[in-house]
Amino acid sequence: MSNLPSVEARVRNIIAEQFGVKAESLRPETSFMKDLMAESIDTVELIAALEEEFNVEIPDEDAEKNQTVGQVIEYMRKKVTDKGH
Amino acid sequence: MRLCIFEDGRFSDLYPLTYSRPAFDLRCGRTRLYEKIVRLFPGVATAFFMRGYLEPLFKDRLEGAVTNDLDALRGDDVLFVNGRALALKGTIMPPAEEVVALRGDEIAYIYAKRETVGKLISSSGMDELLKRLKAQLSQLSTGVDLIGHPWDLVRNNPKAIVDDFESIERRGVLGKMSPRAEIYGDAERVHVAETAEIHPFVVLDTHSGPIMIDGKAKVLPFSRIEGPCSIGSGSMIVRGNVREEVSIGPMCRIGGEIEASIVHGYSNKYHTGFLGHAYVGEWVNIGALTTNSDLKNDYSTVDVYINGNLYDTGDTKVGSFIGDHTKLGIGCLLNTGTMVGVGCNLLGGEVLPKYIPSFTWFARGKISRGSGFRRTVEAERRVMLRRDVEMSPSHVQMLQHIYDETREDRENLIKRGRGRSIPEA
Repeated sequence: MSNLPSVEARVRNIIAEQFGVKAESLRPETSFMKDLMAESIDTVELIAALEEEFNVEIPDEDAEKNQTVGQVIEYMRKKVTDKGH
Repeated sequence: MRLCIFEDGRFSDLYPLTYSRPAFDLRCGRTRLYEKIVRLFPGVATAFFMRGYLEPLFKDRLEGAVTNDLDALRGDDVLFVNGRALALKGTIMPPAEEVVALRGDEIAYIYAKRETVGKLISSSGMDELLKRLKAQLSQLSTGVDLIGHPWDLVRNNPKAIVDDFESIERRGVLGKMSPRAEIYGDAERVHVAETAEIHPFVVLDTHSGPIMIDGKAKVLPFSRIEGPCSIGSGSMIVRGNVREEVSIGPMCRIGGEIEASIVHGYSNKYHTGFLGHAYVGEWVNIGALTTNSDLKNDYSTVDVYINGNLYDTGDTKVGSFIGDHTKLGIGCLLNTGTMVGVGCNLLGGEVLPKYIPSFTWFARGKISRGSGFRRTVEAERRVMLRRDVEMSPSHVQMLQHIYDETREDRENLIKRGRGRSIPEA
């Protein structure tokens, strides 16, 4: 479980880089659509960046369910934990 | 005698085109460079030397080819030919004596006797062998052109087309040509292969050079083709204004205006839009109205980015160089001398940057890593299946190698061009 904070930090950094914002300005409830004005191209790029960072595959249907920063962090925590088992 | 076609250390000056193929596999005229070399020495056994990651895919295509095997050169006299040589008729004659033929200080070809080859071969590879041969044998200066940069292929394309035309033994209009199509100029300068089709209201203008149309190619109505020109097997010209000095490889779809350009094969430029002084790789799609500039407004020479440096081509007419598996959306505007890597996805609406690294997207004014390697390969697999070609494991491995090799370059450029701000809470 010691790697969980690190997953959160890495996810926040990737989101911040993708949207050109500061990582500390991202809150769990920050919405990709409403707050970050994400377009489909952003979503595709973000998924690719997360897949590369964590060496996992993220199905499109999973990606659609995660609409906020907090949801993505939780999803990636689970992915990383599952991968470790 | 054996023939040995080798790739020397200057392959990176031919990026992005040589990321995905050996230098000798580039097209100039109707054929690839190595095909011209082989044509000069019919019946001679040939060995190819190239970067290791390209070898499996090359062997997939050229079944039974001898590749990267120094031992295959033992036991016979060997003519080593630089794969960047433009081997037109009469340029490389079988020499009687051992010799190193240099263009400037670069090896164009070397002829060495069996004993010399046997003595100098070592386990350290082709580069070392060439170095030893160069040091030991007498040298002469040759006029054989060596392709140094991508624009050299475009520059040499017209004479390569003429050379290829003259090498066709049985030429003429052998295929289906509508009586309502017109040869404007000397009809002797047209070759339409047996299974090719020229539809009504097509003009083949041979005033400036010959025209070759290969088997199963189709030229559809209201197309005008100016020689010198070569259209590869299975390609289709759809209401094309194909101006002089164009080579189109196999299985392409070409429409709109194209001038002084090479399209390697399996690529589409179906719609209206201009392509000039360009080289387009394989599996490229060019959307409607996408256009490249090949002349600057001040008529000065064109600079291009090669290996991270801005390089003056010395030419005033230079278009774009586009790597394999790249897709250009509608309305992309490519600046003079633009270099686009392998596996890119470019959206239009503005003038694109002059250098776009492999496996990136360009949209809304910024370069990004796009959908990543796995999704890009999945998409390309679908693209290839549309032409009944299955992407082989060696093809995927080659793309993976390119992806890894270009990672640093890509990440550096991605870091630029960010800048939106998050709304305050």
